[in-house]
Amino acid sequence: MIAMFDLVMQILKSNQIEIPLIQPVVDSLIEIPVLNALVALILWRPFFAVVVMPGLLVLMIYLLYIIWFERKLTARIQWRVGPLEIARPLRGAIQALADGLRYFFQEAIVHKEAHRPYFIQLPILAFIPVLLPIAFIPAGNVVGIKTPYAIQLIVAFISLIPITIVAIGWASNSRFAFVGSVREALMYVAYEIPFIIAVISMIFLYGSGDPYVVIEKQWIPGAFLNPLAFLVFLIAMLMATSRLPFEIPEADQEIAFGPFVEYSGILFGLVMVLAYEKLYVMALLFTILFLGGWSGPQIALLGDLNAPIWLVIKTLVAISIIAIVRSMYARYRIDQALRMGFSWFLALSVLALVIGAFIGMVI
Amino acid sequence: MDDFTKFIHSGKLAPLKKWGTKWSLWPVHLVTACCGAELAHAFASGYDGERIGALNYGIARQTNFIIVEGAITRKMARVLRITWEQMPDPKFVIVMGACGLNGGIFWNGYNLVKPSEVVPVEFFIPGCPPTPEALLRGIRQLQKKLETGEAESSVDFYDLRLQKGKIPKMLPKSPKRISENPLIIVNRAKEVDWAFGKELCEKLKALKLESVVITAKNRIAVKVSESNLKETAIELKKLGFDHVKSVNVIDVPAENKFIVEYHISSYSNKDLMPVIVNLFTEIPRKEAKVSSLADIFPSADYMEREMHDFFGVEFKGNPWKGKFLLAPDTPEFPLRKDFKLQEEIYVGD
Ligand code: SF4
Repeated sequence: MIAMFDLVMQILKSNQIEIPLIQPVVDSLIEIPVLNALVALILWRPFFAVVVMPGLLVLMIYLLYIIWFERKLTARIQWRVGPLEIARPLRGAIQALADGLRYFFQEAIVHKEAHRPYFIQLPILAFIPVLLPIAFIPAGNVVGIKTPYAIQLIVAFISLIPITIVAIGWASNSRFAFVGSVREALMYVAYEIPFIIAVISMIFLYGSGDPYVVIEKQWIPGAFLNPLAFLVFLIAMLMATSRLPFEIPEADQEIAFGPFVEYSGILFGLVMVLAYEKLYVMALLFTILFLGGWSGPQIALLGDLNAPIWLVIKTLVAISIIAIVRSMYARYRIDQALRMGFSWFLALSVLALVIGAFIGMVI
Repeated sequence: MDDFTKFIHSGKLAPLKKWGTKWSLWPVHLVTACCGAELAHAFASGYDGERIGALNYGIARQTNFIIVEGAITRKMARVLRITWEQMPDPKFVIVMGACGLNGGIFWNGYNLVKPSEVVPVEFFIPGCPPTPEALLRGIRQLQKKLETGEAESSVDFYDLRLQKGKIPKMLPKSPKRISENPLIIVNRAKEVDWAFGKELCEKLKALKLESVVITAKNRIAVKVSESNLKETAIELKKLGFDHVKSVNVIDVPAENKFIVEYHISSYSNKDLMPVIVNLFTEIPRKEAKVSSLADIFPSADYMEREMHDFFGVEFKGNPWKGKFLLAPDTPEFPLRKDFKLQEEIYVGD
């Protein structure tokens, strides 16, 4: 038993993240019997990447932040104040926490017509394709699973997400949910092809799907290397996460949240954050491909933590800019979005592919 | 499972639940009457209800709060009940407006329902319409109540057996029915203290009428035979009545007749202004013909055309023929009681 424990500790300690700033604290904690295992686990690189940064913990904080930020921003644009009274000193920043708690304690209704097992399972199943990419996203030498095909894998998982949403709509067995899933499926076809082509053009450009190679080759940010692919990716990101100009599958004014119409309580809380989480994953990919990933000025004291911090900061800035787009534009009709997706949007992505291949040969 | 539910609803975690619910009262979009304009004001810039965490949102399933905006009719009462029932458990209702409180300006309306009889109500906000401040104060009061009160469920949960197997598919049944034999009396007499009206009745009785009855204060019902209708109208015009407020046809198939009513009043004579004379006549259904008053009271013209559309009553002297308001392909005379609605055909498997 003790031998096993020692072995595990050895494995954990062999791959510790190094942060000079907190090294004395870690050194003193590592002496304490039970706590040392915990500290070693948290500082174990793969665990740190997946669970702390840029993984789940940051994802949670991001969720709180983005929901509040979106509401606040929309409110400011409409000349209102937005959530405030809940925590005046923080300008209402914990509003999303209250909403989440309320959803958690609310009754979760499963209506008679629903396909019961799927209706309850799917919101949880949907997290698999949303959260799995995080294991492959590296931040410097903090990485969950290291593979040279990380970018392809991430794209593959992202492409799986709409299937769960369509399935959610199907399991709800309601007319609005049906309309919503059909719209989701149509939109899926419209944005997925340009999106994948844009990613492929960047892979051509860098000559590899390995994030490390990608970052290395970005002597200037990828957005300048292939601006067309940048544009296509940006618009595809809006479409894929049902942000406002393309909030077509959810359109609450006409089809009352589409696939999610029947969900209530904690189940709705789960499905509501799906789009936000998808946005987070896509924005991480976006940062790596176009914004230079985790490269940035290094602070020696932070050691290994530099890379994740830069990655997260860039991602959050990108997402915040997308939130501005959301609160300013009105919604497209489905036919407009589809026509766009299949005509100039697709053409743009093919053009981006050509540029990507060309520049890839040059550099 | 029961213990678990209880724990979630009112156990150790109750303070968290109370806090979350307090700051996240999301009203569902359920606009029923004119108070809705004031609700919109309360959530627009200036007052901004989102400050206190209330966000107008989607549909019943995802919200926990109903603001009943003013009058609730019988039809909307059903909608209100359904919305309330579809809402997940801790749910609250606030009623704004005098209408929801006690009927307001519709206080004796036949079609008005008090929301408190339909759903449990937490707070009433008086006013017609209440100001946005008042509405926000109502929400704050509810928050205070949530903060200081007990954490509990707002409904009783019954044990329902889970249904197994395939649910038989039922096509929706047609709810459309024709009522049988309604008893319609247009001139039911009522004792009122109205000297001017009695004077007026005496004057009217000098004409060739079948009956003159005071039905309420300022209301007189005058029954004439069809042949006398026009003459009587001319006489009324001489008395100072100058316009027709509405033309109305009542179909009474059981007695095989139409009742044609003209509500006549005056704009020019100050004494007659509040008075409405209901000049009515009965005509057989078979031969639905009545002389038009459009040449005496021009305002009757359009309404006669409309009645012609709906009931097929011919107004002799009104030049209009054919459809006036209805689409050209509407079936004939849709408001006649014996009009059969076309059964809707549902395509199903
Ligand atoms: S209270 Fe006044 S404003 Fe409100 S619904 Fe009734 S009539 Fe309209």
